[in-house]
Amino acid sequence: MTLYEKIKTIYPELADSEFNLITGTIQLRNDSDGKGDYIAKWEHPTLPRPTEEQLA
Amino acid sequence: MPISTIGQSGLNAPITLTSPILTTPALGTPSALVLTNATGLPQAGLGTNVAGNGPIFSAYSSAGQTVSNNTITKILFDTENFDSNSNFASSRFTPTVAGYYVFTNSLSIANYSNTGTNEFGQYFFKNGSHASGDCVSTGQNSMFSISQGAGHNIFFNNTFGPVYANGSTDYFEIYLEQNTGGSRTVNATITAFSGFMVRSA
Repeated sequence: MTLYEKIKTIYPELADSEFNLITGTIQLRNDSDGKGDYIAKWEHPTLPRPTEEQLA
Repeated sequence: MPISTIGQSGLNAPITLTSPILTTPALGTPSALVLTNATGLPQAGLGTNVAGNGPIFSAYSSAGQTVSNNTITKILFDTENFDSNSNFASSRFTPTVAGYYVFTNSLSIANYSNTGTNEFGQYFFKNGSHASGDCVSTGQNSMFSISQGAGHNIFFNNTFGPVYANGSTDYFEIYLEQNTGGSRTVNATITAFSGFMVRSA
């Protein structure tokens, strides 16, 4: 399961537009350096950033 | 003896002209000239068909790469066509000559089937942050149109710059974002990244 899929499982109400780099409040990023996907930005106005435990 | 000294007075002081006439010697035309330390050469002084020799690179992806849904992913360009100043490494261009640069990037995504409105973001990153780029939606007026439900290879091409690079720490990369609902494969070979210096600092 990808990081995006885990986040959608936690917050199914999140729309795709929330993840857009230019207009969204959340940025998931992968720098292709072997470290995998990570949350580069979480500025959602109401939903708190998921914890490591939630994403494990 | 100074060239303006023409004799000695009775007091042993040199007699000089107040306005000597100097004639430029004829030096002739040199058969070859090396401007190693010359400065201030105007653009108009360049000969016809003379281009600069600043850094230039061209690289492409030799293997497909998977990009997850809604995840901004750095695109890998593992094979170089050329890299004149050895400034391209790890899919990142870090020019060691300060100046203004122009970049081009082409991306191809395999077997895309449009089932609605999807977005593709093709982004230039400078120093790890978004610097420029397009985000196109397949269901809206955009750079291309795709038939519903059919599998296609789709292609984006974009230009970035001129943009300044400080010649030491500034670096440039390509990122892709897509929200088609699942992972997508970036096609090899025709997914490419290139750039060159257009003006020194």
